[in-house]
Amino acid sequence: MSEDKNSNENKSVGAKGYILPAIVVAFSFAIIYTVVVAIPNLPSLKSEPSKYAMEYVEKEADGTIKRDEQGLPVLNDAGKGRAIYVREGCFYCHSQFVRPQDRDFGSRVFAGDYANETPNVLGTSRTGPDLSNEGGKLPDEWHVGHLKNPREYNPGSIMPSFSYLPDEDLGYLVSYLQTLGRKRMDDPENRHIYEAYYPEADEAFWHASEHHKPNVDSAAAANAGAGIFRQNCAVCHGLNGLGNGPNALAMAKKPANFSRPYYKAYSDKTWYWRVAEGVPGTRMPRWKLKLEPEQMWYLVAFLKTLPQDKSPIIEPYQTIDSEAWQSQSALPERITDNYEKLAKNKKKGGKSSKGGHGGH
Amino acid sequence: MIRRIFSSEEGSAAKFFMFSAIVWLIVGMGAGLLGALEFSFPDLTKGVAQLSFTRLRPAHVNTVAFGWLSMANIGACLYIIPALCKTKLFSEKLANFSCYLWNIGIFVGMLTLLNGYTEGREYAEYREPIDILFVVALGSVSYNLFRTLLNRTVKKLYVSVWYIMGAFFWMPIIFIVGNRTFVAMEGLNDGILNWFYGHNILGMWFTVLGVGIAYYMLPKMSGKPIWSHSLSMFGFWTIAFFYAPTGTHHLLQSPVPEWLKALAVIFSAALVIPVISVLVNFYMTMKGSWWMLTTNMPIRFVLTGAFWYLVTCLQGPFQATRGVNWYIHFTQWVVGHAHAALLGTFTFFVIGAIYYGLQRLTGKRIYSVRLVKWHFWLLLIGFFLFFASLTIGGLQQAVGWALGYPVAQWGLVLPPMWLVRSIGGVLMFLSSCLFGFNIYMTMREKPISSELEIKVAVPIEGDSK
Repeated sequence: MSEDKNSNENKSVGAKGYILPAIVVAFSFAIIYTVVVAIPNLPSLKSEPSKYAMEYVEKEADGTIKRDEQGLPVLNDAGKGRAIYVREGCFYCHSQFVRPQDRDFGSRVFAGDYANETPNVLGTSRTGPDLSNEGGKLPDEWHVGHLKNPREYNPGSIMPSFSYLPDEDLGYLVSYLQTLGRKRMDDPENRHIYEAYYPEADEAFWHASEHHKPNVDSAAAANAGAGIFRQNCAVCHGLNGLGNGPNALAMAKKPANFSRPYYKAYSDKTWYWRVAEGVPGTRMPRWKLKLEPEQMWYLVAFLKTLPQDKSPIIEPYQTIDSEAWQSQSALPERITDNYEKLAKNKKKGGKSSKGGHGGH
Repeated sequence: MIRRIFSSEEGSAAKFFMFSAIVWLIVGMGAGLLGALEFSFPDLTKGVAQLSFTRLRPAHVNTVAFGWLSMANIGACLYIIPALCKTKLFSEKLANFSCYLWNIGIFVGMLTLLNGYTEGREYAEYREPIDILFVVALGSVSYNLFRTLLNRTVKKLYVSVWYIMGAFFWMPIIFIVGNRTFVAMEGLNDGILNWFYGHNILGMWFTVLGVGIAYYMLPKMSGKPIWSHSLSMFGFWTIAFFYAPTGTHHLLQSPVPEWLKALAVIFSAALVIPVISVLVNFYMTMKGSWWMLTTNMPIRFVLTGAFWYLVTCLQGPFQATRGVNWYIHFTQWVVGHAHAALLGTFTFFVIGAIYYGLQRLTGKRIYSVRLVKWHFWLLLIGFFLFFASLTIGGLQQAVGWALGYPVAQWGLVLPPMWLVRSIGGVLMFLSSCLFGFNIYMTMREKPISSELEIKVAVPIEGDSK
């Protein structure tokens, strides 16, 4: 090697002759640093908060930020949930920006939407779905249950179970999730984008449905719905709605089991919307393409009566030994305790999952 | 204990860094393996917060990046720089003290990350007190090496010195910028800065150190001079110029300013220039000496690293272009690429340097050459399974999303890939345990020569026990 030539000189050489290159290295780095780091952070180039930027702090009546004794801003529920989102590392698998090429992810995002975000949770991997517009798509109860037991709600999911989080943390986390993109979705200008799966923003959708709405609490409507259910739904969901129809055996994502307690928390509208829009990512079709609004309301009336152990409306299917059939195609054991606890809390007015603002 | 920590024995700091690195390699890889298994068995550690994948991931990344690779590289540099400057290290005591601090940082950092105390920025997860610890440790190592450089007795600087000293100049700055909790940034600026840091610890730290080490190892072991000194310097200056602004290519489809994206794409593509010049120089240096691959274990590791360097650094510039990034961003392909750089390339480089350097430093012959070979093949096969499964899985994800399938549904095609990845991970973890065992047994042997410069250090087939 070339440096060996001078090895017999045995005194130190020092920095002679290398000061200029050293300055060049430092200077080139300084230029790059200025261009890449300093300039984008100039106050004049910072993007102003847009109307969709999320709010994470409590505001006083006059619009100033509320502060505690130490002068720190007081976080609202979503802000507390965001801290848990960061602490638990959700952003390693869930991105939070909709790219131009992403279909069915909701409207695109802009720089101002992120004005209140620090640290950033843009994400680098989509091992799970993007959450930019997650708020309002699913009920709070679904989120809490899904966070605790992801595979109960979403068969095939590899999301870790967050059952170790206390109920309070889960409530804040769900508040945060329900806030994501909510302003964007509630904006009337964006209605056309969300018609597909946010029908509350679509007046025509609800107008048509309300126009044909029967009394969904009547036995007659439920009886009518039972026939529609047998013809269309039972092949996957089973005759008793236990999610054990013949087709279920071949499905990677099993059909819903309506005897689960959290379906009891569904409102009529949630039922209707779910039937009409289907479940993205599963074989559940968008029934509004096939059924009339009136038929779907009959279905809702029937679904509300499930589970039907005490219900006199429908006779249990007798020709097959239904218990044997159920045990053959039984789903994994249900974990009902969580939901029941949750339902109790809710009745007491506990704050276990107080999600979202406005919207519904 | 205290005497050992503040030892002034020549070479003690380099050894201390290398041994610590090997321990962190096994710990960090174990964390990574458990995390990988949770992809196949999601309820494996259900209910244990500290072992949830989302907590294991930052612990794994930071432990292998700062515990294993950084410490191993520093250990190698503490040997290489004095050797190239033909002088002693400026202060062994200071270097030992740095290593002590560094170990505390990694240990406390791992515990805090597992317990959820995180800054939440990728690659910069350690909290403020640990950041300060690292800045002190890194600054003292830098100071030490620059003082060593000033004490040198040779006039001309070999290219490895340029690379290594460049890394020790850039890294403290990048680390302080990346972990600035004293300047809270909001919105996308936080993301831009995050990736300025996240990509530059790869580019201005691991790459530069790794290439510097390989430039030292290849001529030294093959006994031939470097093919072209001017080409090697060309590679250094181009890498210094092109690498720094590339970080924004992690955010290409996000709403960051377009001119920053354009800058990142152009400079990322231009990185082909230093990569090709470095590799041409490596391969031309080896011309006529390729037979050494069969008998010389350190050179086998370094050249395998050079092969993965070719793979990962040809992927990199293409990935950063808008068209390819459109397709593969957010997929598992990127995870495979990141591991090809840090595990495939720089880990192989530095393992070669450890096998070579430790024998020189201690005057002891390696305990078992057979174990070195097992280490090599398990690591290589394990890593190949890992890389291939993630690359194929990433392409499957990419095609699914391009066709418009939802993420949740298309994710169902990946489980076989995750299983293959875990199998690769088991092999790699096993190889690291063999590595640790081999080094431990080597240290228990008696030195065959008390001289620092012994000639028999390179394990040759037939010499094995």
